[in-house]
Amino acid sequence: MSEPLGRWSAVQMIGKGVEAAPALRRGIGATFGLAMLGSSGRVVVPILVQQAIDHGFRKGNVDVGNVTILGVIGLAVIIVATFAQRTAVARLGRRSEEALYGLRVRLFEHIHRLSIADHGEERRGALVARVTSDVETLSQFFSWGALAWLLDGTLMVLVAGVMLAYDWVLALVAFATAAPLAFVLRSVQRHLVAAYDKARTRNAEVLTSVSEVVSGSETLRAYHAGPHYADVTKRSSRERSNAFIRAGTIGAFLFPSGEVFSVLTVAAVVTVGVVRGAGAGLTSGALVGFIFLTYRFLEPIAEFTEVLDQTQTAVAGLRRVLGVLENPIGPPEPAHPVTLPLGTLGIGIENVTFGYRSRGDDEEAPVLVDVTAQIPAGQHVAVVGETGSGKTTLGRLISRFADPTIGTVRIGGVPLTAVANDELRTRLVVVPQEPFLFDGTIAANLGFARSMLSIPDLEKAIVDLDLSDWLDTLPDGLFTEVGARGGQLSAGERQLVALVRASLVDPDVLVLDEATSSVDALTEVRIGRALDKLAAGRTTIAIAHRLSTAARADRVMVLEHGRLVEDGPHAQLVAAGGPYSRMYEAWMSATASTQ
Amino acid sequence: MNGGKERAKEEHGTIVPIDASRATQAFRLIRGLLRHHKRLFFTAVGCAAVFAACTVFSSVVVRLITDKVIVPRFEDGHVATGRVVAILGLLVAVGVVRAFGVVGRRIFANRTAWRVTESLTAEVVDRVTAQPVPWHRMHRTGDIITRAGVDAEAATQVLNPLPFASSVVLMLVLSAVWLLITDLWLGMAAVAVFPLLIGLNLTYQRRVDKFYDTAQNELGKLSEAVHESFDGVTVVKSFGAESRETERLAVIASRLRNARFGAIRLRSTFEALLDGVPNIVNIFLLVAGSYRVRSGAMTIGELTSFIYLFTLLVFPLRLIGFALSELPYSIAGWNRIRELLDEPVVSDPALTLRRHSDNGIELQGVTYNHDGSRDVLSGVDALIPAGRTVAVVGPTGAGKTTLLHLIAGLIAVDHGSITVPESGCVLVFQEPFLLAGSVRDNVALGRTVTDDEVHMALLAAEAGFVEQFSEGVDTIVGERGIGLSGGQRQRIALARALVGNPAALLLDDTTSSLDPATEAKVLANLRDTLRDATVVAVASRPSTIALADDVLYLADGHVVAHGSHDELLASVPEYRRLMEAFEHDRAEHLEGARP
Repeated sequence: MSEPLGRWSAVQMIGKGVEAAPALRRGIGATFGLAMLGSSGRVVVPILVQQAIDHGFRKGNVDVGNVTILGVIGLAVIIVATFAQRTAVARLGRRSEEALYGLRVRLFEHIHRLSIADHGEERRGALVARVTSDVETLSQFFSWGALAWLLDGTLMVLVAGVMLAYDWVLALVAFATAAPLAFVLRSVQRHLVAAYDKARTRNAEVLTSVSEVVSGSETLRAYHAGPHYADVTKRSSRERSNAFIRAGTIGAFLFPSGEVFSVLTVAAVVTVGVVRGAGAGLTSGALVGFIFLTYRFLEPIAEFTEVLDQTQTAVAGLRRVLGVLENPIGPPEPAHPVTLPLGTLGIGIENVTFGYRSRGDDEEAPVLVDVTAQIPAGQHVAVVGETGSGKTTLGRLISRFADPTIGTVRIGGVPLTAVANDELRTRLVVVPQEPFLFDGTIAANLGFARSMLSIPDLEKAIVDLDLSDWLDTLPDGLFTEVGARGGQLSAGERQLVALVRASLVDPDVLVLDEATSSVDALTEVRIGRALDKLAAGRTTIAIAHRLSTAARADRVMVLEHGRLVEDGPHAQLVAAGGPYSRMYEAWMSATASTQ
Repeated sequence: MNGGKERAKEEHGTIVPIDASRATQAFRLIRGLLRHHKRLFFTAVGCAAVFAACTVFSSVVVRLITDKVIVPRFEDGHVATGRVVAILGLLVAVGVVRAFGVVGRRIFANRTAWRVTESLTAEVVDRVTAQPVPWHRMHRTGDIITRAGVDAEAATQVLNPLPFASSVVLMLVLSAVWLLITDLWLGMAAVAVFPLLIGLNLTYQRRVDKFYDTAQNELGKLSEAVHESFDGVTVVKSFGAESRETERLAVIASRLRNARFGAIRLRSTFEALLDGVPNIVNIFLLVAGSYRVRSGAMTIGELTSFIYLFTLLVFPLRLIGFALSELPYSIAGWNRIRELLDEPVVSDPALTLRRHSDNGIELQGVTYNHDGSRDVLSGVDALIPAGRTVAVVGPTGAGKTTLLHLIAGLIAVDHGSITVPESGCVLVFQEPFLLAGSVRDNVALGRTVTDDEVHMALLAAEAGFVEQFSEGVDTIVGERGIGLSGGQRQRIALARALVGNPAALLLDDTTSSLDPATEAKVLANLRDTLRDATVVAVASRPSTIALADDVLYLADGHVVAHGSHDELLASVPEYRRLMEAFEHDRAEHLEGARP
């Protein structure tokens, strides 16, 4: 971290951060000037003590009038300084929160537009952390670290200036005596950060352990494992306490070392001052003033070590945030979009090869290799294959959640790359494998399909898909709350909502990523019925996990290791004796219930 | 604005119930926390007292430096070296002792807080694991986790600043006495400012905490919304709703920003005041002091030490508000933990089971009524002879899972009796629960088992895939472990049941997330490895049901029929219809497949 390169890049990083959040730059000069003025209030008392001793308290004759005049001047300065400080703090705070809000909104938009490949399960948490905890790190920095830089930084400069003006020799003595403190603090700080890192890891372990003991209570009870895991948790809690005690012990030395250096510095200054005496132009007032100034000078140093650390954390957070913005967004919008023809659309897949770029590894075999197929308008196609065969990826390419590495996907004869995203999303709709519902009512989730939908529109869509009987079973009909991620509904009911939602767009092409989860018999019947209604008259591509779906389709495309190995109607493929017929045999024998 | 305040007040009200005054609650909290580790705590308080005494005494040293060293040197031209050395030596000595006081206070306060956290966590974890399943079902999982994890820590955090707060009180008393002894009139003026500053601090803290609470609340909502939005990114993309989602999130983020604006406004004003007011008081002390010095009532050194001591007190006074701001959270945490600990341990339902030496299971008139409204099971009679495999079949809501949980002794019957083998039954849950740890730990679950037994169990559960992992059975699964599919998790959970070689095995739709071929293999292995064991399995696939010796057909909490699959198909029309519904999917495709 202390290499010049690291420091340079931190500065560059801050520059880029300011570029990304321009609100920060607005009026920064004025804020700085006000802070300077505000800090001047904090050196008034030491200067006043010096002035009073030197010009008010002559031996045997105290010039009360002079001290009073000095006091009035000091009072005026403090009042102005107090206002200036208030304004500076408020300005910095407001600007930074405005800037961070702007940054968050940019992140929302950018992350939503990232390619689906950048939205893998394992990266989800990281993306959420970017807009929540990382931006919060920056917010905390602005409410404390940046403020310390602003106020304490200007204070130290001012105090140092006053000291030098009083007596440069004494000032240098003070600086020299206090200097080692900075190194002591840095080294304590480094150990402290490492110790707290460890302690936080231990803390996370305890919380995991506690949450397991509670959420797994039935399992633990069924296997009489409660006492064992209680012991595991208690041991983990003991280790956490030990780690925090260790960190706290290191931290205990942080502030007191400042105290020790303060008295050492005062002792050194007084010694040198007394030795030099009045002959060198030094006054008793200045020497007493020095005692006060020394404390003022050293007070922020202990804080600064923590501020420095927080600044590093903030820069690291900023680096991660900017890293997300550097990530190119998903399939780009065409510069000159082509309008799609009216009517049902066919799909053309031409020599398509695809590899996940973001998986990093160049050696990774492509997920799809040279797949070619023409799907005429209105045809019902099922894509089958084992897990990892590339069938889900093919669905994503047809839905333009990603673009092929090589080759072209066409819709209605137009390359997907030439279709405006807004138009594509009204002509092609994806019903995902595990349909996602937002916390809210069924109506709100259906309304997500497109803007300006009325309740009668929603009701009609439900009637059209023959689902009125299902709607009647819901406690509040369309206004039934679905819960977080639709958890109040069964898996099958979530699929029903997703089907209605898709129908509201009235698309020409449907991409169905079939669900694997088991569904009760009645809902299964409803799903089948709704799907038939929805599919009628549209081109459908079903990413099928059940061969029964394949058997119903007009045509089956079989993928194996990313290659299209068979393509034809179900009956024909069963008869052909190829991979599909083998899959079919295995499935038939496994599901046979009698004999 | 007003509404916001009202709401904040209400929220505050929920944190601290008003059944007892704040002071009484605080006292109860501290007494409760200090049942253990009293000695650590009082060591910390002792160190804090040393710190307080030294702080006040250091102002005496400053007086000595001014009156006995600086003034003589500059007024009279000389000062005895011995005296300079002695007084500066005293300065350094007091500074070092003061620093040690701080170090000791921090180390022991931190140690107390974490040791108490450890004791409290242990108490809570023991209690939570001692509570049987019915207790857990009456409480929300998230709520218990918060109480056991976060609240235990929150309750003890007040112990950290407490010694410091007590030292501030001592310091104020000592300073007041000292100031009054030095100069009664000026002392009274200075002491009168203490309550003003404390009041200013506490007012600020209370008001700013409300804004922070609101902001924290808004941050929570934002995180939740962002999580949901990114989780649903496929839906967002499918419907081209990126901009709509960004706008929705921006509104939530703007609420957070506005809450922060309020805090910033308040903070900038109070911080400026907290800096400005002591400075103004100091100026007043200086001017008024000059009159006292003129009248000969005090020396320059005494006046200097007056101002010096007042400056030293400002910092602790500023922190006391901050230190005590933890108090409401600690009280809230403590109350929530007490609630949990005050609940008596519910009697273990497993004790209601009758035991016999046979491996069979006998149900007599078993009635279970979940919440007093409707019988989930009523009058269930069944005799399951040792070594038989019985499939429990029925529509959703028939009471199948409840039946297994009763036999497993997780919950107790309301009427009737259940007789199980001496060693009890082992249940495999519908949703497998894996703990963070190795596969071996998850299979053993606290029992002592050999590696061979683990391997055998994994093989029987068709979980041979574990051997493919680079770490084998030592591979970490669960949270932060490798990702497993539902079927893989299910098979590890099954191995967990098999490793104990149970007399009776209860499977709750355990094999449904496996593909039919694997399921058939698992069931075959079960019969091989557990020859004498009784197996009761909830099942919905006809192929699975057909493998059982008998079928127990449940509907609406009643046993409708008990016999072989073929008998039931022939004699129970309801059962036949259910089977047909299960097979609906398959039957339909078979027709469709024949051209």
